[in-house]
Amino acid sequence: MILTNNLTKSYGGLTALDALNLEVKEGEIYCLLGANGAGKTTTINLLLGFLKPTSGRAFINKLDVVEHSKLTKQYLAYIPENLMLYPSLNAIENLDYFSGIANKSFNKKTLQSILTEAGLQESAFYKPVSKYSKGMRQKVGVAIALAKDAKVLLLDEPTSGLDPKASFEFGKLLQKLRQKGVATLMATHDLFRAKEVATTIGIMKDGQLKQQWHVDDISLSDLEKNYLETMSYNTIEL
Amino acid sequence: MLKYNFKYEWLLLIRNRWIQVLTILLFILFGFAAYNGTQKVKMRTSNLTSAINELQIKEREILSQLDSLEAGHELNISRWMMPTNPVVTGNLLPRVVNMPPKSTAFISTGQSDLFAHYVQPIVTGEDSTMNFKEMTSPTQLLFGSFDLTFVIVYLLPLLIIAFSFNILASERERGSLKLLASQPINIRVWVLQKLGLRFFWLVMVIIITLSLVFIIFDFDIKTNWMSFITLLSIIIAYTLFWFVLAFATNIWIRSSAKNAITLIGFWILFVLLSPTLINQISNTLYPIPSRTLMLNEMRSIKSEAIKKQDEILDNFLRNHPEYATNDSKQARGFYQKYMATQQLIQDELKPLLSEFESQINNQHKLVNASSWFSPALIVQNSLNQIAGTSTGDYQNFKRQSIIFSKEWRNFFKPMLFKGEKFKKSDYKNLPEFRYRYASVNTYSKTFWLIIISSLILFLVLTPNKHQIELIS
Repeated sequence: MILTNNLTKSYGGLTALDALNLEVKEGEIYCLLGANGAGKTTTINLLLGFLKPTSGRAFINKLDVVEHSKLTKQYLAYIPENLMLYPSLNAIENLDYFSGIANKSFNKKTLQSILTEAGLQESAFYKPVSKYSKGMRQKVGVAIALAKDAKVLLLDEPTSGLDPKASFEFGKLLQKLRQKGVATLMATHDLFRAKEVATTIGIMKDGQLKQQWHVDDISLSDLEKNYLETMSYNTIEL
Repeated sequence: MLKYNFKYEWLLLIRNRWIQVLTILLFILFGFAAYNGTQKVKMRTSNLTSAINELQIKEREILSQLDSLEAGHELNISRWMMPTNPVVTGNLLPRVVNMPPKSTAFISTGQSDLFAHYVQPIVTGEDSTMNFKEMTSPTQLLFGSFDLTFVIVYLLPLLIIAFSFNILASERERGSLKLLASQPINIRVWVLQKLGLRFFWLVMVIIITLSLVFIIFDFDIKTNWMSFITLLSIIIAYTLFWFVLAFATNIWIRSSAKNAITLIGFWILFVLLSPTLINQISNTLYPIPSRTLMLNEMRSIKSEAIKKQDEILDNFLRNHPEYATNDSKQARGFYQKYMATQQLIQDELKPLLSEFESQINNQHKLVNASSWFSPALIVQNSLNQIAGTSTGDYQNFKRQSIIFSKEWRNFFKPMLFKGEKFKKSDYKNLPEFRYRYASVNTYSKTFWLIIISSLILFLVLTPNKHQIELIS
């Protein structure tokens, strides 16, 4: 579903992403770990078509994201760190609008059931989004992905700033989407959540994918140790 | 996408109170401007009515004097005031040569506070000294008139700028642009649709508020529907021009602050600078000769002519044998000498006056031709034309007044030179003046505004800027 082939992005002399080769198959959740500036967001922006690769190619559902920019966006959904919706519209209206411009039309009942599936409480459906917490907004983001019937989900630090309960609920939602066959690429700093939800975990540094494991092949403590070693931090003995 | 943009843009505009604020603001602005315009028209009509009433009183007095004289009674009045003297009647009963205000005059003060709406040419008067200028308070000229044209030409673009300057930049600055751009849409088309819808709703608000204001101020839309439609079409074309500029700014410039400054810059350029620049160029290319020098020249020609009145009269009679009497002496009085002298003065002044007029005409021609570069000037001129207060209307009035003035003189002249008396029966044959408004044609100007707008739209829509650059 998601495939990058020597994907590279440079800004003048600075290489933000260096020949990334990565594949996320149907029903997989790939968590990209790394410090700020490691190249995680650049990867997502390249897959979204927001940046033009310097070299290499990226594919969504076997379509080149540069050549078929509009078409690939029909298959993907994107949830940024801070999902900004239209504050004066409520959840139903926001969902209806974003689905509508993506050529998906639903009646009110279906919109309500999508929001319920995304975990949003019914009492919040008709409140203006300006009154929502970050977790509630992220749930609307998931609802937009569900409504779009997205095959690919791109998440840029979606749990950052969420309380543990909201983060846990968000993880459950990702699992639900995984069961539906959605391929997810999530950039995150949250090692614990990555271990919880991912099928594959990769660590990036200086635009390069340094290490990659299947989630079953590594424990949380090893993941932490490897992460810190990759980042060249010393493990602090407690 | 259009269906959803249409549905939710309306909701957003209503919930953000844009529609409500715009409706109230435009209603107040249009209402106050229409009130000001109506007051000016009322004053103009009242001045005209007073002049006509004064003339009617004078007419009744003169006719009754003529009645008495024709009945053989003697009147105790000076011979200089004797109504049987054609020059006396021609001077005492001048027609009120007027340009009545159009029903649309309240739309635009235009040149109406600079030029007179009526003149009263007399037999012994001169065309060149007929006063076509209005006495106006310099303070009013300094601040201009707060009329509908002012609201449309100057204030409406500012409202459009406030309504449309940051469609894309606000999404970028709020952080919602990436979510939007992750949908299968063309951002350029999305911005175009958003602005198109805002244009549509603003036009709706303009039509509704303007219609309400016109109804409140007793404008008969049913009878004058053509003027109303013409007015609306020019406003819509001007609104379109500003929305297209806003679209180009939204696409080409990145931040809200820069967008606002750029659009204000366009406003200064098109609304304030370009009309002033065109005016300066016309003054430089076609300078008007000094009015003081012209008046001095006129005075010297007159004083020369007055010295030689007898000689002039002889020459005049030689050139006009139709005015010869049976009297072998061909003796003439004061008025004959005066009229003959006036004729000579006017002939001698012709080149001087025509130089003056031709420079003014050249200036007007240049301003008209250059106005195609300034949408604000196009709209200003068009609205003045619809209101009947344009420079062209006042030139037209001047032309028609001078023609009538000659007709008036020529009615009395033969009587004067043949020594005939003015009789009551001559009264019904006195020439009457009826002003004919030139037909209004603003279609080419409206069309031109649409062409300019389309051209800018074409330039912006030509994909020289990749969608990526719009998002990042």
